[in-house]
Amino acid sequence: MDFGIILPLLVFFPMVGAILVYLIGRKNKEARNNLACVVTFLVLLGAVLLFGKHASFTIPGFCGLGLHFDGDELRVVMAILTSFIWFMTTVFSKEYFALYRNRNRYYFFLLMTLGATLGVFLSADLYTTFIFFEIMSFTSFVLVIHDESEAAIRAAHTYLGIAVIGGLITLTGLFMMYHMAGTLNIDALAEFVASQEEKKAIYAVGVLILVGFGAKAGLFPLHVWLPEAHPVAPAPASALLSCILTKSGVYGMLVLSCKLFLHDANWGNLILILGVITMVLGAVLAVFSIDLKRTLACSSLSQIGFIAVAIGMQGLLGSHNALAAGGTILHLVNHSLLKLVLFMSAGVVYMNLHRLHLNEIRGWGKDKPLLKFVFLMGVLGITGIPFWNGYISKTLIHESIVEYIEILHHAGQATTYMQTVEWLFLFSGGLTLAYMTKIFVAVFVETNPYPGNAAHHNEGPYMNRLSAIILVVCAVILPLLGALPQFTGEKIAEASYHFMGAHGPEHAVHYFAWVNLKGAVLSVVIGALVYFLFIRKVLMEKDDNGNMVYVDRWPKGLNLENKIYRPVLLSFLPFAGSLLARFVSTLTDGFVAVLRMLVFNDDSGRVVPPEDRYFSAYTDFDDKKVVYGEGFAKSLLMIGVGLAVAMLYILL
Amino acid sequence: MNGFATILPVIFPIIAGVALLPVKFKDRKQREIWVFSITLINTIFSLYAIYFADAGVVTLFHFSEKLSLTLHIDGLSKIFGTMVSILWVITTVYAFEYMTHEGREDKFFAFFTMTYGVVLGVAFSGNFLTMYLFYEFLTLATLPLVMHAMDDKARHAGKTYILYMMFGAALAFIGFVFLYCYSEGMEFTYGGVLIPELVRGNEFTLQIIFLVAFFGFGVKAAILPFYRWLPKASVAPTPVTALLHAVAVVKSGVFAIIRLIYFSFGIEFLVGTWAQNVILVAASITIVFGSTVALRTPHIKRRFAYSTISNLSYIVFGAALMTPAGLTAGLLHMLYHAMIKITLFFTAGAILYKTHREYLYEVEGFGRLMPITFLSMALTGVSLVGVPPFAGFHSKWALATAAVKSGNMIAYLGIVALIISAVLTALYIFYVIIRAYFPRKKEYAEGYYDHVEDPNKYMTIPLIVLTAITILIGLFPSNLLHVLELVATGII
Repeated sequence: MDFGIILPLLVFFPMVGAILVYLIGRKNKEARNNLACVVTFLVLLGAVLLFGKHASFTIPGFCGLGLHFDGDELRVVMAILTSFIWFMTTVFSKEYFALYRNRNRYYFFLLMTLGATLGVFLSADLYTTFIFFEIMSFTSFVLVIHDESEAAIRAAHTYLGIAVIGGLITLTGLFMMYHMAGTLNIDALAEFVASQEEKKAIYAVGVLILVGFGAKAGLFPLHVWLPEAHPVAPAPASALLSCILTKSGVYGMLVLSCKLFLHDANWGNLILILGVITMVLGAVLAVFSIDLKRTLACSSLSQIGFIAVAIGMQGLLGSHNALAAGGTILHLVNHSLLKLVLFMSAGVVYMNLHRLHLNEIRGWGKDKPLLKFVFLMGVLGITGIPFWNGYISKTLIHESIVEYIEILHHAGQATTYMQTVEWLFLFSGGLTLAYMTKIFVAVFVETNPYPGNAAHHNEGPYMNRLSAIILVVCAVILPLLGALPQFTGEKIAEASYHFMGAHGPEHAVHYFAWVNLKGAVLSVVIGALVYFLFIRKVLMEKDDNGNMVYVDRWPKGLNLENKIYRPVLLSFLPFAGSLLARFVSTLTDGFVAVLRMLVFNDDSGRVVPPEDRYFSAYTDFDDKKVVYGEGFAKSLLMIGVGLAVAMLYILL
Repeated sequence: MNGFATILPVIFPIIAGVALLPVKFKDRKQREIWVFSITLINTIFSLYAIYFADAGVVTLFHFSEKLSLTLHIDGLSKIFGTMVSILWVITTVYAFEYMTHEGREDKFFAFFTMTYGVVLGVAFSGNFLTMYLFYEFLTLATLPLVMHAMDDKARHAGKTYILYMMFGAALAFIGFVFLYCYSEGMEFTYGGVLIPELVRGNEFTLQIIFLVAFFGFGVKAAILPFYRWLPKASVAPTPVTALLHAVAVVKSGVFAIIRLIYFSFGIEFLVGTWAQNVILVAASITIVFGSTVALRTPHIKRRFAYSTISNLSYIVFGAALMTPAGLTAGLLHMLYHAMIKITLFFTAGAILYKTHREYLYEVEGFGRLMPITFLSMALTGVSLVGVPPFAGFHSKWALATAAVKSGNMIAYLGIVALIISAVLTALYIFYVIIRAYFPRKKEYAEGYYDHVEDPNKYMTIPLIVLTAITILIGLFPSNLLHVLELVATGII
């Protein structure tokens, strides 16, 4: 059986489903919710079917250059991950959105985005990638703005602005690449780049392409939209944004780093530096944040930084990069699964309280063991505690850094730079523990000194059985992946080596050996220190009644978006542009003024634009009188008569 | 007999239009039936002439050996003619409903029908003289349409319009005289009509004359610095702004420029000269200029008018690359932009017609209440921005590819202009759409949402049809591109 046909089906079926869901939703809300779940489930099935089949499919001529899909292992892993998370959030949406307006619109764009995202992950050429990438940007915009609150509108504008500008810069890069290589097929491009001696131009093009993908992934300095947009979206949508949509940017980075610039140390270094900055920045922001979802969003930023570090290490390590490659894909998968759990738990909180500020939701989860368990799984996973999945991938990434330091050491080169990276890596790991502890303690351990805010949740259970099952299933996966890496994670990693141009590691990794545990222990120590000495001392203070509350200590001035991007884009550039345009148009105005003086012989020469006493004066005249009496119309008429006479004379 | 087939679509609406002038119709319905029949019949005539009649060169009138009035349908005429014929029918349907609120429909439809013939005359012209003639007629026939409202604003717009047009035609006439002197005959031939022996030694003069003629026709194509008439003319009734100032009149200007470059002077004579660089720069500046001003214009129709200015220069830019690839890209953008902009103007018209709101801050929150109107606007809007896989993306991609291939340094500058303009386009289009769908305030003054609903089927069906066509030609551009390539290389 030819499995190729499944590829375009995976992409277009959800889009068709979106329309169906929208139409049905106008009649019957319950049927719509169920249909959406069925659609996503079928997509999940289709994606699973594709595993290991190496299918490929082409739709020639569509959209100009044609669409090309490919189903190699990494792409299928991404597709399965996407459709799994989509399925889970769609089911969860049923309860979360029960009291929302505009649900039809939400489901429509939810499924459209699913199709587009799968299009990105399954694409075999950058043209296809780009087309679906853009569709995804626009459809997900509606998900971000869904609440239509002031904050949501503002964040969505930022999101769209960065997506549009990033997309165009990427397009420029793709376009130049197409001009140089004559193709955008990813594999052909890889060959082309490998065959080139002089790489300066290609690096420049690569950076251009990186801008759009990096912006979507949340890489510094285009991360500004992420901590704004993720928290304001409805929880299932923030889960998708955080788990999957950022990964489409990562996929673009993977294509660049593992195909075009395979084993290229310069490129690896660039990604590594950006990754380290993002990793630390995200973690620091998360420590300061006092909003549950914002903390999670900043945490996403930081974790994307971890992944970028792993991608960068692949480039630096060259052909010995199996550890880094495994770390990349595993951290990618793990982070998606972890954030799914965490964002859905945050969604449960929001669903009941409609609040996310730490001081207001404090202590709400204290007497809710199930939610506490689920959230705890996520916390343990993301902080990299042994036997949870985050530990596995972080260990691999850490190992790859250590390995590179050893290589450098053997070659007799300076290792200070890489050692700094290692320390920053462990430090960020520590911060992860600190900020996750902060929100966990706030929501699930502490007692709220002002219970009035958090107490008034509805009678009856705080979530229904279906949501509870979904949450528990997602949460249980995490320790499973973490405790049995040989059967789960390593399989995924091995499957992805092909795409990343990596070979299996020379020796099996002993995840739970002391060498590897050491890193985790160090991180935990750092985390504990930060939590007790910084968060509890500096980021909390006594309010008027003597209770400890969380305060926002992040300096207002330190905001890239408000201080630089928005002023430049919204005030300075339009001003300069319109000043220039004004100037240009005055040139023509002057020209018109001169003409006006010459043609009409106006006494004063003043320009009085709107009124007109010369052209015609129909309204001033009685209907019975001759209307062509005087003025410009008469002149025109006389010219016409003159011309006619002259014509007649010439002809006769 | 075949010759007659070519003449008929040009002559028939002009005669019919003149005949409609004195007629007083009993009621609206009667007039609609008459006007619609005339338009539909003429569209059939014109499509027949384009695709089946293959008449070759038809001479209407013979002045002298070198001067004659001829009609000839070649590949370029086919494209322009088809575009006009199809859009005219759709616009007529739209205008039936829209014009009820403007009044004096008898006069309006008479001139509107006349204009149809004149535009086809421009499209089917076989030589420079004929084109020039119809080009002038076009100005005169459309003047009453622009001034339809006959208030101060409309009269002012009308005067500006005619002054600019006469000025442009005068410049074009200079070009005509020189072409007459330096060529054998003036029949449009791909590759130009100049006689090399005569040209030798006079290159510089001819290049200046080319520029003069280019800017002469450029007045209708609204190239800087001759764009002023266009935004002013947006006071005209919406069907007029939509059809004439997004499709017929301005595209006639572009069409004439293409005729001038590719079929009169010839690209061999022009390519690589300073004259080419001048027009590339002019087009690039206009591209950015139009988008910038559009972004700062809160009046919806004028915003779209400035957007038209920008987009016309995309086409001119493609043509000015003076390569077949450039012309292909330009023509593609011409078709796409025609579809997109007519739809956008129609949506603006629908809002104006139902609610009398003209400024974009007045339409906040309308998206949900006028679903068809705003869905059309959103879909064609993203096409205009060039979001893949919608229409504008392909033409911009083709333009950029052609610009790179041409190897001209100035053309690279043009690509930068294209990209800047793309960002600005995204801003000025999304700004409208987002405000319509996601209002900023929760509550509005009483009466704010009165009469906010989709117009009736006369207006919504054209919108739906146009949007559907726009999306379809965006998704499947291959065949279209193939045809355009043949035209651009002079094969058909």
